[in-house]
Amino acid sequence: MIVSRTLRILAWLLLLLALPVQADTVLRVFIGGAAQRPDLFRTLADRYEASHPGIRIEIGSGAATSELQRKYLSVLLNAHDPSFDALMLDIVHPYQFATAGWIAPLDPYFGKEKDTLLADGLPIYRQTNLIKGKLYTLPAVTDAMFLYYRKDLLEQYGIAPPQTWQQLELAAKTILQHKQKPALQGLSMQGAPIEGTVCSFLLPYWSQGKDILDANGKLTLDKPAALSSLKLWKDLISKNVIRRHVAEVKTGDTVNTFKAGHAIFAINWGFAWGVFQNDADSLVKGKVGIIRMPAMTGGTHATCLGGWQWALSNYSRHKAQTADFLRFLASPESVRFITLQGALLPPYLSLYDDADIQAAIPWLNNAKPALLGAKSRPLTARYAQVSDVLRISTSAVLAGSLTAEEGVEDISRRLERILR
Amino acid sequence: MLTLPLRWIAAAVLLVNGFFPALWILLTSFKSDAELAHTPITWLPQHPSLSNYLHAFSDQPLLLFLGNSFAVAMLSTLLTLFAATGAAYALTRLQLRHRGLILTALVAVAMFPPATLLVPLFEIMRGLGLINTYGALILPYAVQSLPVCTLVLASFFQQVPRDLENAAMLDGCTRLQALYRIVLPLSAPGVFTAGILAFVNAWDEFLLALTLNAAPGTRTLPVGILLYQGEFSFPWPVISAALVVAIVPVAILIILFQERVISGLTTGGIKG
Amino acid sequence: MSLRTLLNRYQPDGQRSKLGDVSDTSLAFWLLLPATLLLGLIVVYPVAKVIHDSFYSMSIFSEHGPAFIGFANYADALRDPDVWRAVRFTLALCIVTVPGALLVGLGLALLANRPWTWRWPVRLALLLPWALPLAFSGMIFAWFFNTEYGVVNDLLRRAGVAPISFLLIPQWGFLAICIATIWKTSSFVALILLAGLQTIPRSLYEAAELEGASHWQSFRHVTLPLLMPAMMVALIFRTISALQSFDIPYAMTQGGPARYTETLSILINTTAIEYMDVGYGSALAVLLFLLSMAVSSLYLRKLYKGTV
Repeated sequence: MIVSRTLRILAWLLLLLALPVQADTVLRVFIGGAAQRPDLFRTLADRYEASHPGIRIEIGSGAATSELQRKYLSVLLNAHDPSFDALMLDIVHPYQFATAGWIAPLDPYFGKEKDTLLADGLPIYRQTNLIKGKLYTLPAVTDAMFLYYRKDLLEQYGIAPPQTWQQLELAAKTILQHKQKPALQGLSMQGAPIEGTVCSFLLPYWSQGKDILDANGKLTLDKPAALSSLKLWKDLISKNVIRRHVAEVKTGDTVNTFKAGHAIFAINWGFAWGVFQNDADSLVKGKVGIIRMPAMTGGTHATCLGGWQWALSNYSRHKAQTADFLRFLASPESVRFITLQGALLPPYLSLYDDADIQAAIPWLNNAKPALLGAKSRPLTARYAQVSDVLRISTSAVLAGSLTAEEGVEDISRRLERILR
Repeated sequence: MLTLPLRWIAAAVLLVNGFFPALWILLTSFKSDAELAHTPITWLPQHPSLSNYLHAFSDQPLLLFLGNSFAVAMLSTLLTLFAATGAAYALTRLQLRHRGLILTALVAVAMFPPATLLVPLFEIMRGLGLINTYGALILPYAVQSLPVCTLVLASFFQQVPRDLENAAMLDGCTRLQALYRIVLPLSAPGVFTAGILAFVNAWDEFLLALTLNAAPGTRTLPVGILLYQGEFSFPWPVISAALVVAIVPVAILIILFQERVISGLTTGGIKG
Repeated sequence: MSLRTLLNRYQPDGQRSKLGDVSDTSLAFWLLLPATLLLGLIVVYPVAKVIHDSFYSMSIFSEHGPAFIGFANYADALRDPDVWRAVRFTLALCIVTVPGALLVGLGLALLANRPWTWRWPVRLALLLPWALPLAFSGMIFAWFFNTEYGVVNDLLRRAGVAPISFLLIPQWGFLAICIATIWKTSSFVALILLAGLQTIPRSLYEAAELEGASHWQSFRHVTLPLLMPAMMVALIFRTISALQSFDIPYAMTQGGPARYTETLSILINTTAIEYMDVGYGSALAVLLFLLSMAVSSLYLRKLYKGTV
């Protein structure tokens, strides 16, 4: 009897010892791929942990591309899975996630700060981060599509950086004619059925002052504008400014082509600038020019907004703590750190006047007007479908399996069905 | 029979068809990214190295995926064998009123592909709290293998002499005991064949695994391997190394048990 | 093997054991219970749910809740060119890959059935494609057919032919998917046929030889007829799974270029899982059930008549 009682007491003691003195709250953050720089955010998380005892931050990754992340997260969130507390989302996803109830509004945790954050943020965030009047996301990093050009080649032939697609065509043809290098391409851009190709369709479309959706989310596709957008690319392909294999080209292919010195112009995200300037195997260091996207003749300069946003999972078991951590991550100080370390574009206007950042990103003053005018891809809960339609049809037109006219009919018919 | 050169050609056709893709994966697993991006492509690795295997194990928890796949395949195989044993015995040895209906229902399972049932399956698993656990996969995998396992087991049970069973029952066994002590052991080759069919089926499955069990801790190999993919790259050398690791257990299983699988099928459901 | 012989085969012998401690009915109940529960949970309920959902408009991304809309999803589906294209592509895949896999499988089985000195490499060669996961078979073949880095184009280049972007051109994409599917599935067919071949008594061939039959004649008059039951089993399995093709085309082309290689299963998966348009996806799933049942009932009728 005594033995058994002693044993029981001993067991209880052991159990008590096994319990940690104070259980840490673990916040799990989803940062999809290496391109989103989990390493830099780890440093920030360490700082936060140091000033917040009892909180531990774990960074988890899942899938590298925006599409894979959407698939992966929608499975987890649809299962009401609490695996992640905070999510880093491609800017095209929050609207869909908020409609599905997967991410929680941040209003309860951000009182007056909401207005301060929005006032300093890029103007477009009033559309992308406020969903039906509620604040759902905070900016992590921003990005947009830019036109890269070979400064050395343009200077050699005394050509100014193109302001319109017509000027680009002329410049490319002149240089290609003089260079006579078979490997050299005029313009490298994304044409494979990937997310980036949605922008390839929208850039010239937007430049004509048209939109896909109106403020109420109703379809306002302008068929003539869509047709001239697709025809612009087809025309450049037929003139061999764009290579015929464009329908296979993905974001990384464009980066590699330009990096290897095989393209005069390239359309890509702002992050690529750091790659061209800093990568050990880059052959274009110091020869990279970057300007805002050319316009259609008589049109405006329009670019595609990219970048990543922070959101709070609706299935988080630590919403208040997570919101506080997000407040820290989205603070101008944290963003400044990420911007400086990663040479990524800052989402806050105040940081564009920061001397250190201007030194780290010499083309910051070129980027600002482009970002001020940047446009968001259609904000709709059906974005996954809309994106598929735009990228698949555009890619098919570029590949030549559809004519530009068929492509526009295809896009129009499908969008009508999806958005009715 | 065949003349010698013809025999060689026949052997070559068989071996190339069977081994070439696997061999290609094996060769690639020793190449570097740079070598792979080289055109024209190389067939043999120029500077063979094991670094892809190191990456395969360090970039993702490959051992964990292996363990998960093994656990899911094993448990679903056991479950399907358990359910199939009962069903096969009832179908072969007992007086049943709706034998035809039961048999048809069993075969009809194959007509409803999992891809089309994903949404309700997802809801069921969510309701049972099984999403992102082994259970979410074990149950559907067991069902997928149920028809073929039942047919194989049934044809084996058929061949166990009824006298043996009766004798056992005279000795005081219940029917159920007779099933587990006499019929099942005597049908061991059939149990084996059914088991391997079920195991390979579960080991290979991808779509359900991706949708019902994508969480990092419980992922199975096919889903895990897909995640080696990078934002802008598809690192074939590392993925090949991971694939080799995934194929080897099944290849060993086949080498060890190939006689039994084929003889099992010979004795089993195929005979006219 | 016809379904009738199958049924006959499973008739328990007339003499019923009187020694059973429980009645047959009650024992049968308990023995069939696990299988019934599993089928009910994983097949019957989901199928019922899919049929139910197909009459609703429901999507997690919709601003409104589910609404009953009768046959509207079906009407939409019948008007949707994507659906018809997917049906056509799926059927075309069936028509090419089922006989293809059967022929290749038969060839492989005949080869493997020879008296090889080394049996295990032959058997491994036969079984390895079967054991390689479908999704990865698709990925590997997609790579084989890659324009720049693929083995196929490397061989073409060595033969002096310009490389072909197989997966970007609908007709070539179809061919590539067919080849990958036949490669992958002929293995299981060969396995079944090999098992069938081994049940053919050697004496029959010896008798044929004595009567002076040629190789071809003994194949035509001995092997083929006796292999027919196994062929039928393989045919049914292959046809049903070809109608459900998902992994290989998905891994190779994701349905592209421009949805030309989208099978019904891929379309259903994209609609119901990726777009979470559950109502419409369910209606498409019911259409696939109907198609599967129509095709299988053709076989079953033939089988019941015992013509095979």
